[in-house]
Amino acid sequence: MTKIIFAILFLLSLIMAMPLQAAEFPTKEVQIIIPWAAGGATDLIFRALAATTGKYLGKAVVVINRPGGAGAVGFTEAMQAKPDGYTLVSAVTPLTILPHQVSTAFTYKNFDPILNVVDDPSMFLVRSDAPWKSLKEFLDYAKKNPNMIKVGNSGAGGGVHLVALAFERAAGVKFNHIPFSGGGPSVTAILGGHVNAVSVSPPEGISQVQAGKLRIIALFTEKRLDLFPDVQTVKEQGIDFAMGMWRGLVAPKGTPADVIKKLHDAFKQGMEDPALIKNAKDMAVNLRYLSPEAFGKLMAADHEFYGKLVKEIKKLN
Amino acid sequence: MFESFQHLINGFGIATTIQNLSYCLIGAIVGTVIGVLPGIGPIAGIALLIPATFGLNATSAIIMLAGIYYGAMYGGSTTSILLNVPGETASVITCIDGYQMAQKGRAGQALAICAIGSFIAGTFGIFGLVFLAPPLAEAALAFGPPEYFSLMVFGFIVLSNVTGTSLIKSLMMSVLGLIIGTIGIDPVTGDPRFTFGSVPLLGGIEFVAVAIGLFGIGEVLTNVEKPLGTLDEKVLVPRLRDLYPSLQDLKKSLGAILRGTGIGFGVGLIPGPAPVIATYASYMTEKRISKHPGEFGKGAIEGVAGPESANNSACQAAFIPLFVLGIPFAPPTAILLGALLIHGVNPGPMMIGQHPELFWGVIASMYIGNFVLLLLNLPFVPLFANILRIPKKILLPLVILFCITGMYTVNNSVFDIWMMLLFGGLGFTMRKWAYEGAPLLLALVLGPKLEVAFRQSLMISHGDFGTFVNRPVSLIFLIATILFLIVPVLRLLFKKGGR
Repeated sequence: MTKIIFAILFLLSLIMAMPLQAAEFPTKEVQIIIPWAAGGATDLIFRALAATTGKYLGKAVVVINRPGGAGAVGFTEAMQAKPDGYTLVSAVTPLTILPHQVSTAFTYKNFDPILNVVDDPSMFLVRSDAPWKSLKEFLDYAKKNPNMIKVGNSGAGGGVHLVALAFERAAGVKFNHIPFSGGGPSVTAILGGHVNAVSVSPPEGISQVQAGKLRIIALFTEKRLDLFPDVQTVKEQGIDFAMGMWRGLVAPKGTPADVIKKLHDAFKQGMEDPALIKNAKDMAVNLRYLSPEAFGKLMAADHEFYGKLVKEIKKLN
Repeated sequence: MFESFQHLINGFGIATTIQNLSYCLIGAIVGTVIGVLPGIGPIAGIALLIPATFGLNATSAIIMLAGIYYGAMYGGSTTSILLNVPGETASVITCIDGYQMAQKGRAGQALAICAIGSFIAGTFGIFGLVFLAPPLAEAALAFGPPEYFSLMVFGFIVLSNVTGTSLIKSLMMSVLGLIIGTIGIDPVTGDPRFTFGSVPLLGGIEFVAVAIGLFGIGEVLTNVEKPLGTLDEKVLVPRLRDLYPSLQDLKKSLGAILRGTGIGFGVGLIPGPAPVIATYASYMTEKRISKHPGEFGKGAIEGVAGPESANNSACQAAFIPLFVLGIPFAPPTAILLGALLIHGVNPGPMMIGQHPELFWGVIASMYIGNFVLLLLNLPFVPLFANILRIPKKILLPLVILFCITGMYTVNNSVFDIWMMLLFGGLGFTMRKWAYEGAPLLLALVLGPKLEVAFRQSLMISHGDFGTFVNRPVSLIFLIATILFLIVPVLRLLFKKGGR
């Protein structure tokens, strides 16, 4: 008797394992892989976006964290996923940086862009009691004392570290870069006065600036920030330099064009949803939509740019 | 001061609404379950339940998530005591004496003293949080890379031989832990180390995998090796009356609990997996202070009371950097930070001023939560102790199942599971040849931090080694380390001379 039951169950399981007819996309929930641990900047904004996009897509959007290897683990897994539109990955600037630093199986070319969501500014912060009151004073001091100003960052070879290095070249100065294990420790270090400045991207450090403990000494954006309208960009002060951290969505290469269009439209609506806009504002995150073509071009350009930058740094070391 | 008190009363008002009380209860229960299941820790629990909090207001959400965090700390000791399998990484030390107590039929006393100790630690911790938070946060900021380095050196030397068996073997395990800790991306240059081209290894070996593998899977395998008959064994479960600690037990433990609370609170301010380090520190302290050091390792109740209290109070202390500075020092608080941000609260120096009802509401609810957990755990002691009635041949496979699922929830990584099994095999081999796993775990936790702090210090000082001795706090720790090493030797010399 037991044998008969098992046989029936076995047959049933075989039937259920057979592929379903290709119905209208989406027929089940869509997963976004986040190659970093929960609670980070990327994780938060995409969780919020997933929450609002669900209703426009018709099926739930779920976030999965796959941390490890500075993002390599998550990107590799996403690259190997089936290009059927059910597995996406959040593409962040490190996608174009990492392949130049370690040998990875992927580059941005292994993915099809869907849209860009966020363009987070990067900036240098100093303590409010620091002796430099303006960018000019800061850079003058740096020029007279090369390698003396200690600039903390959230990790060697990471996004904000490279921003600091690129800024050095643009401004013609040399800093002493001190790596920390993440944004939190780097901001802690500057609060304690163990470094002179810190290179960050929001939300790191924002609440301390709002509380008056830290000051923005250099802002690397094209336009001033809404949150701090009195802070000048470095461009306004004569240095032609702007660099940010973009965060967008991509799918494994080969995903059908109509699936990408459906995903794109749904996520765009999710981005325009008032709940998301409020969430982003509260987190001091800068939403910036880019179409798939524009996003693809941005990734290609950054891949080139960071390739050159990383090579130069490797030569110096 | 008076204002703080008034805020606290308001906080209690907020925390005792039916809504918030139920969220607190849910969080505490879920946290306890998560803590009891080996492998799954508070990180996974909090992360999984964040979406459930989307519809709630910020205060209720944080009340529930915080409940999960300290609930897990309460629950973690249960499997440590009953099965010698740590419920979560900070409960590794509890296994040592807790399991021995269970073997002697004193499982109930061990479980109860854990609940009581955690409650006392939690209560003191909350007062510490309320009154000492700002100055402690400032003190934590004053710790720069050189101070961390010297502190790590001190911790490393003092805590390495925590179980006191062969020094050489402990040192060997420490070195092994250090080596394993180097696998991954070099924190200063970004180059991969010892990864052999493997992508998952780029992130290093997950420390939860090592802890659960060495102690959890290792324990299961050790049991499996025993003759078939013993798998049907059940430990004799004593009567209800005998399940709770005697007055003498309580007297003995009180000192350990208070010391553990203090140690845990201080250590909890260190970034990283501080609760684990706190338990090691408390165990060492109790062993050194005790008039019967020989009892440790064989079921000394102080060896359970101290570390469990330290664990809980380190947890409370972890909230200080989060609420006062807006910076999370440990993974669970990092996730809470995320939850706060999603709910539109920007933690940081302004949070207490801008959202007093959140801060004080959560503090008050922590106190209530601790109380609730005590009430939950004490009556359940007989129930938990009855788990021992289950024949091992059913219990052990279940443990493995929970370890594997729990491991997966940390990083969603199958690679981690393989690592855990690998270390399980290692743990089994180590036990056969009397090598301790505790020093290995400690080195795995402290080693990378020590290295980073050392290199950061030298980068900041442009290569000047004097930075470690020119700064007072760093110098103090280094001197303490040297004294710790020299004093026993001096004592020996003087004794010989005296004769």
